[in-house]
Amino acid sequence: MNTSKYFFQSLAVVVVSTLSFLAFKTFLPKKLFSEDIASSKNIVVDSLLLEAIAEDGDLKSEDTLTNITIDYKITNGVKFPTETFEDYTGNQYLVTFFEKLFQLETKKEGNVRIAYFGDSMTDGDLIVKDFRTYLQEKFGGQGVGFVNITSESASSRSSVTHEFSGNWKTQSYLKVKRPSRAFGVNGHVFFANDTANVAWVKYKATKTKFASELPRPTLFYGSSSNKEGKVIFVAGDTIVKKLTPNNTLNTLTLSEGSLKNLKVNFKKADSIPIYGFNFDDGKGVHVDNFSNRGNSGLPLGSFDINTMRAFHVKLDYDLIVLQYGANVLNYGTLDYTWYEKRMTKVVNHLKECFPGVAILIVSTADKSTKYDLEMKTDSAVVPLNRAQKKYAIKSEASFVNMYTLMGGDGSMVKWVEEVPSKANKDYTHFNHRGAKEAANLIFTQLNQGYETYKALRKKKKPAAPIKKDSAIIKNDSVNEE
Amino acid sequence: MSALFSLQNWFLETVGIVDLETLKNWFTYNPKQPLLFNSALFLGLFLIFYAIYILSRKTHYFRITYVVLFSLFFYYKCSGIYFWLLIFSSVVDYALSRLIFEETKQGYRKFYMILSLLINLGMLAYFKYTNFLIDNFNTLFDGTMKFEDIILPVGISFYTFQTLSYTIDVYRRELEPTKSFMDFLFFVSFFPQLVAGPIVRASDFIPQIYEKLKLTKEDFNRALFLIIGGLIKKAVISDYISTNFVDRVFDAPNSYTAFENLMASYGYAIQIYCDFSGYSDIAIGLALLMGFWLPDNFRTPYQSGSITEFWRRWHISLSTWLRDYLYISMGGNRKGKIRTYFNLFMTMLLGGLWHGASWKFVVWGVLHGLALVVEKFFGQFIKLPKNIFIRTIQVVLTFHFVVFCWLFFRAKDFETAFQVIQNIGKLTFDFNQWQTIILGYKNVFLLIAIGVIWHFIPVKGIAFMQKSFSSIPLLVKAILLGLIYWVVYATASAGAQPFIYFQF
Repeated sequence: MNTSKYFFQSLAVVVVSTLSFLAFKTFLPKKLFSEDIASSKNIVVDSLLLEAIAEDGDLKSEDTLTNITIDYKITNGVKFPTETFEDYTGNQYLVTFFEKLFQLETKKEGNVRIAYFGDSMTDGDLIVKDFRTYLQEKFGGQGVGFVNITSESASSRSSVTHEFSGNWKTQSYLKVKRPSRAFGVNGHVFFANDTANVAWVKYKATKTKFASELPRPTLFYGSSSNKEGKVIFVAGDTIVKKLTPNNTLNTLTLSEGSLKNLKVNFKKADSIPIYGFNFDDGKGVHVDNFSNRGNSGLPLGSFDINTMRAFHVKLDYDLIVLQYGANVLNYGTLDYTWYEKRMTKVVNHLKECFPGVAILIVSTADKSTKYDLEMKTDSAVVPLNRAQKKYAIKSEASFVNMYTLMGGDGSMVKWVEEVPSKANKDYTHFNHRGAKEAANLIFTQLNQGYETYKALRKKKKPAAPIKKDSAIIKNDSVNEE
Repeated sequence: MSALFSLQNWFLETVGIVDLETLKNWFTYNPKQPLLFNSALFLGLFLIFYAIYILSRKTHYFRITYVVLFSLFFYYKCSGIYFWLLIFSSVVDYALSRLIFEETKQGYRKFYMILSLLINLGMLAYFKYTNFLIDNFNTLFDGTMKFEDIILPVGISFYTFQTLSYTIDVYRRELEPTKSFMDFLFFVSFFPQLVAGPIVRASDFIPQIYEKLKLTKEDFNRALFLIIGGLIKKAVISDYISTNFVDRVFDAPNSYTAFENLMASYGYAIQIYCDFSGYSDIAIGLALLMGFWLPDNFRTPYQSGSITEFWRRWHISLSTWLRDYLYISMGGNRKGKIRTYFNLFMTMLLGGLWHGASWKFVVWGVLHGLALVVEKFFGQFIKLPKNIFIRTIQVVLTFHFVVFCWLFFRAKDFETAFQVIQNIGKLTFDFNQWQTIILGYKNVFLLIAIGVIWHFIPVKGIAFMQKSFSSIPLLVKAILLGLIYWVVYATASAGAQPFIYFQF
């Protein structure tokens, strides 16, 4: 009988342990590990975002927009059909952009430039890389566009190999409210202030389609009283060129042709604000990726208007894409009125900085959180998505609803679990495969808008040549220095 | 009455509403939710299963059939319709082994043996390696063959090896066949080790079927101790560090610092050990509670001073299986030195391929195979002095070699593995950076630290812990186990830790 005793004891243990588990489950907390992020100066958090929540976090939404239909005014003789809040795309606000594409496609004239601002979703040129390729396949163009001097995600960028010395002084609009010199269009300003060691930056073209070379490398830098600065680089021979920091924004083209790789040393260049390099062949479409981990989009409101207009003269932007949201989801709020209000201001500020530019807002993607042992769409995704659509409508920007395009409710779980997977295990970020699909979704919507535009354009009466409403004289390629 | 009512309420709150849909979910296969030992559903099922099991402990046929049915249900919950496959291969192997046993002519015996090998390995090859072969064919000959839509039956690699050991042992006349088909099916489908090992030898297990069922005090305590440890290793340490750290770094290594890449590599070594050995421990514990002894599968492998030693401590049931049925069948060390090295190397290469149908597993096996050959070769000439200093260096070197090999095992492709290696190469000593990262992922690093410390507790320490555990009252043991369930639950319900962006 003795051997049976322990069988019954085992059964008793299983029963009692199960009951005590149910009791523990009732009385003890639900989660053992908190999901809070420890604060540290090295963890990137958008300081403007924190301020905005502190000030306006409790604003309540007044739902006035969601029931309306949006009837457009004619732009350049073209009027897109009326849209409802639910299916809003705002293609009407892209008419000038579409017209430039049309000229490019039909007459091979001019060029188109896009500034793609984003957060970690576009880090390492994810999404933007593929978006750029889709456009360049259709409309032509070579080169990766504008690249920073330093970047926290340089090593993950596959469209250009990017390395830099550790002695650059970097100021980012994410961390610094009042930079010592105005931020560039990339939201950063860099200084080669180390007099003991030379500061350098290195770019190397990769095998990426339409970016297998670095066409016409051009340095962008600001004004300074230091007239001694030089750059030294190798293009066949070792070449030394002087920096002439006389204007708000200056450019220096290092080579008229294309290079495979480029290493630039900066000598005696301290206090000169350095912004970055542009690589484009002056033809077709070019897309600059200005991604920043942790960015909520709010820092774009701190752009200096004069500096941005100087950039606009040189680079001539036709479209600005804003893809934000991932960093706004984790703050426990479900009412995004505060964000909507501030982003409306940001978009209007960008329109002031870049007169005549069209704006496209790409909404937050789906993101999942665990609810009762199951991953589901985070409850903040839909409210944020609606807020983003609202500020798109209010500020007359067009809108890509990434959340519905990728499948809506529960889609992130599918993207993560699918084989092969399209998103990472943090249930927030796409991987290369997913990023390509996301880029395709954005491009497809844009292209559909463009095709509709072409059809509408045919119908319009032959009118006077299109007048640009911009006060700035546009120049289609990067200016000579 | 009100007490009963509140009890009912409490039940609803903690267990949830049991409607027809839930009930259906409990008893039907869902590929997304295989039945795991660390799930609440398994706990509930086991509770009822076990009560009937011990009441029927004195019967043979009833109990055996009962366990077989439960095991088949268990397998159905993990692998759906494929439980028929399990039955089919059992029928074939049982019949062929009978023939081998009863046949006296060596030629026929060999024929049946080869037939059994072909069927078993053929099924394994079809389910596991078809698409791998197609992929290689396409690469080599620029082919455009389509991939077959094959779902891998859970645990097929494990139970194929188990049944092979039975047939080969019968062929070698080292084992008598089971008395009935049901007994054989009991051995093949025994649910504790069915899907993830340990790989039980027929010669270890089958005699136990015919013994009187017993559970000693020592076994009882050991079982609970193993289950508790196994749950913590598998469902707390391994699951948490994988979703919150290791998986992310391996998803996109270039988005992380050198230090994070290094820590994810160490983290994976801890994760895979905790996952695998934890699940084995639970299996061994459950089997013990049912009165069956299963072999040890892991003996703190990262304490090894050489790769040779590592394979005596890592997944022991597999390495001994490979030794007895593959290495020795190839000639082992009986055919001269060169052949010995070759056999060793091939055994590890095939052992690598057993883990998964991909070249990266082959590379992983080859690296280990080469290390074994190198150790065997130099072992003839070099005798190192035995002291703690030398031993420490050996352990550190062995551990790092193992971690290095794991990179190929874990990374989704060679490109990712090389990215991780390259990133680790950029590591510079930067204490502040390291500290910030560790604080940023403090839960993860805490669990990794627990995993490492636990691993290096000396055998005596573990024995002491087990002895202390044995001496506590039964009720406390039960409540402690309940607390562990809660820890598992509360870990699983923690959402993924939000992404952290470091900037240095």
